[in-house]
Amino acid sequence: MSEFAALRADDAELAGLRSAVRAFLAADREAFGWTPAVDCWLSSWDTDFSTRLAEAGFIGLTIPTEYGGRAPADGTGYLHRYVVTEELLAHGAPVGAHWIADRQVAPGLLAYGTEEQRRRLLPRIAAGQLYSAIGMSEHGAGSDLAAVQSRATRTDDGWLLNGTKVWTSGAHLAHQIVVLARTSPLDPEHRHAGFSQFVVPTDLPGITISPIVLMNGEHHFNEVQFDDVPLTDGDVLGEIGAGWHQVTSELGFERSGPERILSTATMLFEVVKALGRGDVDDRTAAAVGDLVGRMIALRQMSVSVARALTGRGERSDGGWLGEDANTRAAMVKDLGTRFEQDSVELAADLIDGVDGPEGARLRAMLTVARAHSPLFTLRGGTNEVLRGIVARGARTT
Amino acid sequence: MNDELKALVDDIGRRSFGARVGRHGLPERFDSDLWQVLETSGLTRLTTEQGADPADAAVVLGGLARYAAAVPVAETDVLATWLAGQADLSVPADGPLTVAIADVDPSGDRVTGTARDVPWPDAGPVVLAARSADATFVAVLPPGSTTSTHNLAGEPRGDVPFDLSSTDVVRLSPGVADELVRRGAWARCVQIVGAFDAAARLTAAHIGERVQFGRPLATFQAVQHSMANLLGEVETSRAATNLATNAAVDHGFDSPEADYAVTAAKVAVGRAVAPVTTIAHQLHGAIGVTLEHQLWLATMRARSWADEFGSTGWHATRLGRMALAAEDPWTVVVGPPPRP
Repeated sequence: MSEFAALRADDAELAGLRSAVRAFLAADREAFGWTPAVDCWLSSWDTDFSTRLAEAGFIGLTIPTEYGGRAPADGTGYLHRYVVTEELLAHGAPVGAHWIADRQVAPGLLAYGTEEQRRRLLPRIAAGQLYSAIGMSEHGAGSDLAAVQSRATRTDDGWLLNGTKVWTSGAHLAHQIVVLARTSPLDPEHRHAGFSQFVVPTDLPGITISPIVLMNGEHHFNEVQFDDVPLTDGDVLGEIGAGWHQVTSELGFERSGPERILSTATMLFEVVKALGRGDVDDRTAAAVGDLVGRMIALRQMSVSVARALTGRGERSDGGWLGEDANTRAAMVKDLGTRFEQDSVELAADLIDGVDGPEGARLRAMLTVARAHSPLFTLRGGTNEVLRGIVARGARTT
Repeated sequence: MNDELKALVDDIGRRSFGARVGRHGLPERFDSDLWQVLETSGLTRLTTEQGADPADAAVVLGGLARYAAAVPVAETDVLATWLAGQADLSVPADGPLTVAIADVDPSGDRVTGTARDVPWPDAGPVVLAARSADATFVAVLPPGSTTSTHNLAGEPRGDVPFDLSSTDVVRLSPGVADELVRRGAWARCVQIVGAFDAAARLTAAHIGERVQFGRPLATFQAVQHSMANLLGEVETSRAATNLATNAAVDHGFDSPEADYAVTAAKVAVGRAVAPVTTIAHQLHGAIGVTLEHQLWLATMRARSWADEFGSTGWHATRLGRMALAAEDPWTVVVGPPPRP
């Protein structure tokens, strides 16, 4: 097998999958007329698209077939999912509705869920028809997640959930929210102990969802208040008291995925395409080359982490970070999201050279990208926290 | 093979570095002791004589660069011996060689010009590639240059003028010169990553030892973040270079795959030079800018090598043109599709 192709997640099998996704996206866009968008995984919510994508076989690639998914028996589902994900982002597809359920909730259920939960929830996720939010941050708990104060208290037949979550993307449209809450009081000596996870249906009594409006007027985030929300033991995800371990142990996949490099990609490629139709001077070509070169290098790092996490890493390369995939994943997110941020203003310079309706369309994308840009280096853990992880994880001998 | 080779090169590099402490200078002198050790171990002509692939050559070139080795192994093996072989010209089977590249406009029966900044021009015979629009003219010249200067790292560089009869040169396709530049660009990427590793090791050690305000620099968050930035640039460079090496292993240096991956790597690595060297020097404080300290052996090599075999801007322009010509630039980011 060609290592050169494998390193780029483009061996014959993955390349075939890539072509299939591209063909689906071209035909689907033609038929249904959606508009490619920057940061589509946060902002483009299209439930019909999610259903069509699932019907085409591109959701649930890490979910075993017994739960309605399409995971290959050889465990390569994450690489398949990686390829599908980057094709969707590169083409700005409206993936927001099913995104968090497929990316984060499905692996959580597979790792920690009960058989009943898996049979109930995974087939709907694989069908692109279960929408989930994640309830982690609170007013007093941002980077310091251990400061979470939401709590679930034991009742005779279940739990009562109280507290307030913020920045809960898509909660106003979701069927459920996976909530991190205290189930034991804070022990200052062991701040990470006493947390549990709950799968909370959004139609339960006592839940109030209010918008937190982004500075450009868009509504993706919410404040979610829980007042004596009644939960059953069947709503507990994993073990009581093991919540901290559960939410941090699988961060590698989330941190190092294509959405940490490609949030602006559809705009960047549109600009390059538009410029390529005319004459381009060397200086502009070099600016494009710098952008593409940085993207290629970051993507190589990201793919190498994905391969390592699926046990398909290349031979040891003697790097300073050693073999720890979690440290490398933190590095990819730090570098990738800063690239996303830088790319917005680089694109702005390039868009100057594009006129007509195409230029107008690109400037509209740029406007959205500028409003979303500060989020790139905040969401899912700030870059300051990530750089601390990198510095501590590096071998220094 | 690879792990053993890595250990061997590291051992040789470490010892040679130890033997030369305090003896690096401007200019660097050719390290004949190290050359002897490398030649005895069969490491000076690994790809041309030993049948090794570019991945093994990368282990040697990167490993020696970590120790600022003053020997033209890249020039001898992957450039000069290869080029002479393409032209069926004989060159010595031992001792160092180097390579010179120049643009020429052949008129009549003479091939005339000057190759600038030839690396290690006095170390051994110079294999010349003179490029014209439709040919590469190859000849073997005696050692020596008309100017004797050196790059920021002290490595000798010199101008080599030539005035050859067309019967004294071997005429090959222009693609030979393209591949030569690609091989050189790849070798410099591998070497720069080696120099980056040295800079990172020195910087990590320094911030662990140096105490200010009563505690090691490494305990300051601002310093940790700078260190994380440095390591990020190094690892990004390594990832891009690793791809280029594997393109050459799988498809050869004369392939479109290698053209793509080496160009991308030279851009990524070249753009990393400024942040890596800047942060390494910043975290060392003023001690790191002295001739006495060893940091410049790594940072100034990286700085100088990035300009060779096509500057970063030149490669960026090429990569940009690839993306601009593509129907979908995303396919350029993913890279060439598998061959049927």
